[in-house]
Amino acid sequence: MDFETGDIVVGLMVAALGLLGLFLAAGAWDEEMYIFGLALAVFAVLFDFGLLRRHYDRADAARSRPHV
Amino acid sequence: MSDAAMHDAPVVYNDAVVKKFVIASMFWAIVAFLVGVYIATELAWPWFNIPPYLNFGRLRPVHTSAAIFAFGGSALLGTSFHVVQRTCRARLWGGDALANFVFWGYQLFIVLAASSYLLGFSKSREYAEPEWHLDLWLVLVWLCYLAIYMGTLMKRREPHIYVANWFYLSFIITVAMLVVVNNLGVPISPYSAKSYSLFSGVQDALVQWWYGHNAVGFFLTAGFLGMMYYFIPKAANRPVYSYRLSIVHFWALIFIYIWAGPHHLLWTALPDWTQTLGMAFSIMLWMPSWGGMINGLMTLSGAWDKLRTDPGLRFSVTAVGFYGMSTFEGPAMSIRDVNALVHYSDWVIGHVHSGALGWVAFITFGAIYYLVPNLWQRQGLYSVRLAAWHYWLATLGIVFYITSMWVAGMMEGLMWRAYDRFGFLRYSFVQVVMAEHPFMVIRLMGGLLFLSGAVLMVYNLIMTVRSPITAAPQAAMLPAGLAVAGD
Repeated sequence: MDFETGDIVVGLMVAALGLLGLFLAAGAWDEEMYIFGLALAVFAVLFDFGLLRRHYDRADAARSRPHV
Repeated sequence: MSDAAMHDAPVVYNDAVVKKFVIASMFWAIVAFLVGVYIATELAWPWFNIPPYLNFGRLRPVHTSAAIFAFGGSALLGTSFHVVQRTCRARLWGGDALANFVFWGYQLFIVLAASSYLLGFSKSREYAEPEWHLDLWLVLVWLCYLAIYMGTLMKRREPHIYVANWFYLSFIITVAMLVVVNNLGVPISPYSAKSYSLFSGVQDALVQWWYGHNAVGFFLTAGFLGMMYYFIPKAANRPVYSYRLSIVHFWALIFIYIWAGPHHLLWTALPDWTQTLGMAFSIMLWMPSWGGMINGLMTLSGAWDKLRTDPGLRFSVTAVGFYGMSTFEGPAMSIRDVNALVHYSDWVIGHVHSGALGWVAFITFGAIYYLVPNLWQRQGLYSVRLAAWHYWLATLGIVFYITSMWVAGMMEGLMWRAYDRFGFLRYSFVQVVMAEHPFMVIRLMGGLLFLSGAVLMVYNLIMTVRSPITAAPQAAMLPAGLAVAGD
């Protein structure tokens, strides 16, 4: 399957940040850090799902394009 | 593919991210103006302060951050991505995922910063209120933005780097430096939002205002000058009046602005020579600022008639006028003796809003009125008449706002320094506050007019986007055309 390098690098970076967010939320001393940690994790999940969706949308578009 | 073929191959620009920033900018504009109107109501009638979340102290940074970083920032990021692609004839570097990360990461920063203020978290540094973890997140997003911008410049197909890019790049680099240095601090724990600044006492104040004034200089001036240098020539279909002047005033502005911060600390514990330095550089700033104003206005030479028919261009040109006015007022206010009267008074609020509403918001409205039909492939706006209504409502709103604040500020300053013949203060603080009430109400009316105009604009833009496609798609490798031409 044809992946864009940029997608992989950014996707992994965001996943790592999401994981960091979970650690921050788990150990949070105050509500601000708790919210930040959870927000980071949710952001990472949504962003990476978005990347996956766009990847398959592109693949579908390429398949349905008539060959020249 | 040969080099020549590569060079002539069409470039498909990443307009999706530009569209997202345009939509975000319009959304945050309404939020910023709405919160501004609400806190203006609180200042006129204090019982509108509803503790804890709707207190003035918590809502004020929501208003300033929404106006500067959310509305202005989204407009700057979006237009810079638009401009750099067109003037370099290159798609954004780093792929779509990185550009999307910059967009969503920046929006996340704004939402988290605003919710953090409402919850009562703040570093208590003006325009730098977000706590340390949010600053780190912003720096990460900003470095990705810088990488995209630099990467696109480096892979450009145009030999020349158009001057708008110089302004945008100075904005990106300097804001990164300012945010990092001003927010240097030690968190009490990685799991706590609380941190302590690395600086203390008057040094802390100086670093804060070195940041604060250069946020004005590089975020609210240099970035928006980049916008001016691209969108006014495009909308007027005229070359920049003097390309040489644009370069000279760019370097003069960049060199001088960075020294002007101490003028925020006149008559304080800051060493006297530092105050004088800040004052002197602030006065020197007048010249490069007016260099930009003259260049923007004179670009209209031979195209002034367009102001009658193009409300977007009218916004841009009025913005340049306000820019000239507020960059004259600023140096005047930084003179020690003037500052003794106006500092801490509402004159400062009037000055800030002549810049924020008159310059920043108007130049953005001009750019957005140009961009939306172009990006969504429409021949024009849904209603030019509505845009004209927006222009007059907003202009009238600014006039109400700044004149009321000038009068209130001068009155406050004079009342604070009035003594009776025994050497006692003539007025108590509460008497000054009561005397200000009518001006607070007039200011609120100004804000309401400005907000109403913005609501009309959003309606007009939504209807423009929803109308059928009427323009042919832009040629993918369209060069910047007249915008790059000039003296």
